[in-house]
Amino acid sequence: MRRRDFLKAGGAGLVGSTVFSISGLTMLSPGNANAATVSFNLTAEGTYKTLVDGVSVYVWQFIDTNSTGPGALTSGLVVKEGDAVSVTVNNNLDRNIRFSIPGVSMSSTRTISPGSSRTYSFTAPAAGSYLYTDNVNGELSRAMGLAGPMVVMTTNGSNNLYSGGPVFDRQYTLFMSELDDRLNAAVQAGGSYNMANYEPNYYFANGLSYPDTKSNSDTLIAMSVGEDVAIRFINGGAITYPMHFHGYHVNVASRNRIIEKNVIEKDTVQVERGECVDVILPVAQAGTYPLHTHYVPGVSANGVYAKGGLVLMSAA
Amino acid sequence: MFNKFQEIYIMSAHRGGGGGTATPPPTTTGGRAFTFLRAPTTVTAQMNGSAALADGASISTWYFSNGGGFNGDRTVPSPVIEANQGEQVAITLSSMMPHTIHLHGLDVDQQNDGVPATSFEVTGSYTYRFTATHAGTFMYHCHVDTNKHMEMGMFGTIIIRPSNGSTTQAWDNGSVFDKEYLWQLTTHDSTWHSGMGGGGSNLARYRPDYFMINGKDGANTITDSATAITASAGQKVLVRIVGTSYMPGIIRMGSLPFEVIASDGRPLVQPYITTEQMCAAGERYDILLTMPSSGQYTGGIEYRNIRNTDALGTVTTTITVA
Ligand SMILES: [Cu+2]
Ligand SMILES: [Cu+2]
Repeated sequence: MRRRDFLKAGGAGLVGSTVFSISGLTMLSPGNANAATVSFNLTAEGTYKTLVDGVSVYVWQFIDTNSTGPGALTSGLVVKEGDAVSVTVNNNLDRNIRFSIPGVSMSSTRTISPGSSRTYSFTAPAAGSYLYTDNVNGELSRAMGLAGPMVVMTTNGSNNLYSGGPVFDRQYTLFMSELDDRLNAAVQAGGSYNMANYEPNYYFANGLSYPDTKSNSDTLIAMSVGEDVAIRFINGGAITYPMHFHGYHVNVASRNRIIEKNVIEKDTVQVERGECVDVILPVAQAGTYPLHTHYVPGVSANGVYAKGGLVLMSAA
Repeated sequence: MFNKFQEIYIMSAHRGGGGGTATPPPTTTGGRAFTFLRAPTTVTAQMNGSAALADGASISTWYFSNGGGFNGDRTVPSPVIEANQGEQVAITLSSMMPHTIHLHGLDVDQQNDGVPATSFEVTGSYTYRFTATHAGTFMYHCHVDTNKHMEMGMFGTIIIRPSNGSTTQAWDNGSVFDKEYLWQLTTHDSTWHSGMGGGGSNLARYRPDYFMINGKDGANTITDSATAITASAGQKVLVRIVGTSYMPGIIRMGSLPFEVIASDGRPLVQPYITTEQMCAAGERYDILLTMPSSGQYTGGIEYRNIRNTDALGTVTTTITVA
């Protein structure tokens, strides 16, 4: 099973007795709940991304060829609560960076100078959704793409969003981001860019824009009537994402791992910058419905609709 | 069931549509500050409207009409459409050009969702049908080239009344109120309204320069009878907030506290009292304001940039104890 399949795997795959070996990550069966030691190797790199309209843009990425993220993301971390995790980061960029996961304390808070590497260790925190990024260069890093998702499963790998929390039949991770091609051009040219002038014109779910999201199994949300589907929104961009569900209301379970006490059914879920929001979607009817940002300019590529942050949910 | 999201089941007590018996409506006469169409009804897509701005300028608008747009005295927003919980609702769209009606928040089936990619565009006429399962505040808008069509004004509010049709109760067995206002949050980037149909890279970046409630900006909002709140001391005023702007807005009733009782067409499990509430694009909030003993207050919306917490623009209106 590829790791990206794991990110959206249904219950049967998770609670079975199978031992999954994914990208150096050993998922043990519930019968053996000992914490694992897992390691990742990320390279921060300047690279080129071809956008939905064919334009090529210079971006920064964390690249892990063994542990690519969902969709077109070049990295992603999946661990279990309590795992001993080490992340080695190689810095091929032209400036200092520091690996950071808001809400997680690291063995080191030192930066990595260009051309060098550093290993950061931590104990996998409470089950939930997390964002990792560089925290030296502020929002510029997220605007350039230097961020990714971390999903922490419960200690025994159960289908709970968190220990004792809501149970899901399937889960999907939607990492939302965007770019302003003027910023990318300035950084590529070695210049700087005032984030106050940041006005994105391309938008992504897991690095893909609609209609490309339709043809990727991580961004085509396949589900069945009667299921409870977990959707993890991880805002890796530098704008807010008001995510609107057609066809369904969802229950907001947690925001940045803080359990939402005032549980209500929402059809539009605001996801703040850097925020991780986990929701449960009870699949109440069959059909194919969009899920998109209601900042509707975000459903376009340089102004052309609907080539943006829109995915389809399809319920049989 | 035990392992499931238990709050969902707690919620069912607040839900309508489960065949529960509604209490009789309170005898107080309800008071809408806006006109409305009662479903079944027909709206016609119009692409030749205009809106007068407080600075004397005018912008072109597209909208849905049935003898006029919102309140009958402006093109944008489109008219309010009402139905009761439990009804089979029919809204006919008549259009010369390809448009749709997306029934935002009403969880309709795919055929009636109004999304061209998953259903169809309407040229001619189509009757959208759905069952109103929950009383509350919803939205409708065109979903063809949505970034452009919605910004041009092709949006309105749908209000689902309780099963018994009460206009003084928010949902079956829910909060009661004496007067009712609708604040549809709208902003315009005037450059998007110039030229023929727009499209292309001129829509790449959204820079709103007019900040509105119910399609009125600046001084026009302060005196707009559909927006400026007037009620007697102690009366309960329901204000339905509809986040139609692409930008979030902070709702304030001056310094007056208000109770947030519902969002996105669902009662809150734990209503709360606050003096400000953010409403993001696509969200709705139903808030209950109990009028103080006297005075006049300045309420309104502070629109925020999705990029940061900076204020983009503010629109205000008056809250008067009559
Ligand atoms: Cu339209
Ligand atoms: Cu909508």
